Amino acid sequence: MMPWAASNVSPVLQGVNLMRTYGDGTARRSALQNVSVDLYPGQLVLLMGPSGSGKSTLLAALSGLLEPDSGQVLAADDDGRMCDVWQMSAREREAYRRRHTGFVFQGYNLFPALTARQQLELVLKWGENASGGEARRRADEVLDKLGLSANKNKKPAQLSGGEKQRVAIGRALVKNPTLVFADEPTSALDWENGQKVIELLRDAAHQRGAAVLCVSHDARLLPFVDVFYHLDDGRLERRALPAT
Amino acid sequence: MSIALQTLWHERTRYASGVLAVTFSAVLIALQCGLLLGLFKITSIPIDNTSADVWVGSNKVESVDLGRPIPASYLSRVAGRAGITSVESYVAAFASFAKPAGGTEMCFLLGSSLDYDAAGAAKVLSREQLDMLTMPNAIIVDESDVKRLGVTEEKKAKINGKEVLVVGTVNGLKSLAAPWVFCSVHTARHLLGFMLPPDHITYLLAKCDTPDRARELAAELKAEYGDDMAVYTAEQFSTGSRVYWLFRTKAGIAIGYAALLGLLVGAVITAQTLYSATAANAKEFAILLALGIPRWRISAMVLAQSFWVGVVGIALAYPVCLGLKYGARQVGADVDLRWEVLVGTAVITVGMALAAGFFALRSVRQIEPMNLLR
Repeated sequence: MMPWAASNVSPVLQGVNLMRTYGDGTARRSALQNVSVDLYPGQLVLLMGPSGSGKSTLLAALSGLLEPDSGQVLAADDDGRMCDVWQMSAREREAYRRRHTGFVFQGYNLFPALTARQQLELVLKWGENASGGEARRRADEVLDKLGLSANKNKKPAQLSGGEKQRVAIGRALVKNPTLVFADEPTSALDWENGQKVIELLRDAAHQRGAAVLCVSHDARLLPFVDVFYHLDDGRLERRALPAT
Repeated sequence: MSIALQTLWHERTRYASGVLAVTFSAVLIALQCGLLLGLFKITSIPIDNTSADVWVGSNKVESVDLGRPIPASYLSRVAGRAGITSVESYVAAFASFAKPAGGTEMCFLLGSSLDYDAAGAAKVLSREQLDMLTMPNAIIVDESDVKRLGVTEEKKAKINGKEVLVVGTVNGLKSLAAPWVFCSVHTARHLLGFMLPPDHITYLLAKCDTPDRARELAAELKAEYGDDMAVYTAEQFSTGSRVYWLFRTKAGIAIGYAALLGLLVGAVITAQTLYSATAANAKEFAILLALGIPRWRISAMVLAQSFWVGVVGIALAYPVCLGLKYGARQVGADVDLRWEVLVGTAVITVGMALAAGFFALRSVRQIEPMNLLR
């Protein structure tokens, strides 16, 4: 049984009555309308919806990248107390993201000059002031688990699209975050590689205990996820997973 | 290797224009300074080519060619002090050189003792030449000035209306405004006539047993007689003579403008290169910001890159400077690339590259992780 399935498990992140609009006057458009959502540890959540429905806005608000017009984003701090991410100072929010969040985007955004291992090491050295030895050990550990043992010393230009996305996932997971946000992580990949990526995100939830929120258009991901939300016109609706 | 260096190497074609801009600035600055210093070295030739350790001259004399007569009795102020191995008279003054074929030229008489180990005898003069200069009215000039002075096969000319005989030539002592004319103190005194009062000389030259003693002696004499005579170590007087002419001719200002222009061009190109290189990696940096990496880490990396652009630019500039120095020597120009010039150039151009890096930080400030979301 996954941890989130137990009734006494608390969410690690809660979005409460989130509102966000873009533009003004007649061009005013609601991206989020009173959206509330809970993310639990060990849970892979899929968020789907048509283009422009507000998926990325919700991900940005929950991850501390975009301030909502109103509502709260409550995150568990180190002591387990819930704090509003948007009541924190910019520096505190940056520190919060550093300690707790990992990101995977459609574009891999890997430094062309760095090897796979160095992409991960950089996050640890710059984010946690990890020593060279420690950063290397932890980077190798994650890359081994992602099946990239043979590619550690390769630069992005020497990797396939699927391998690059796995390195990007490694970069998101190397600091062992409690929250992982993935925005269209499979849309630039063929299905074989896309499947591997969603499996890795599921492993991040189920084996590492992270709460993973994945935004995607791809309905083929549904069999891999634990919870499925649909967002349309800024309104969020939890939907049942199709029977497997 | 740091990420800054690694990125620089990986994207070397992108950074090439910035590196070359730094190289251009550095070459321009070093060469301008070197040429000027090489040129003004000529003004201190009488000091640099003799073995005197301490120079005593007229009060507040700033350059070796500006010395006014001082009483020969000043010798007693200097001689007899501990650590001094010799003190001798030296005469240095402008005179009118009448060319055998007509026309005149200003020349600068350098009358020294002709002992083989004399402090004032030019080092390039051979023992035979020193012996020949003992003849009354015998002079020696630099080979490069022979044509300018119109010296003929007869080797005869006139200085201040008195006949002289050119008994030889030396090499490597080129002149700027007036050719150097080497002779004995006696000859110089005779040629100068009433222009040098009786019992007067232009300088007293002292040799000391150690360089430290020379510095001490100069300080001692300055403290005791600083009100009515100038005292310098050879090094101080040499530098002083060059600096005097550097500022007197406003050449320093010309060099400043040229260097400033070079710096400006270098700064603009380097800044633009760093700006676009940083902007090209904006998405990778945005990911790091999303992950909570502080923005200053990225700024520090951009500044590290600008520092390395400066260092690589300098590393390329030095061989070019040395090549150009060699080329200049082939056409008779001296480019004085002393360590102060090379270090100064490095500090200025690396500083410029860093300033360009600060300019490029604008692109770091524009990076927003939110832009990564679709």
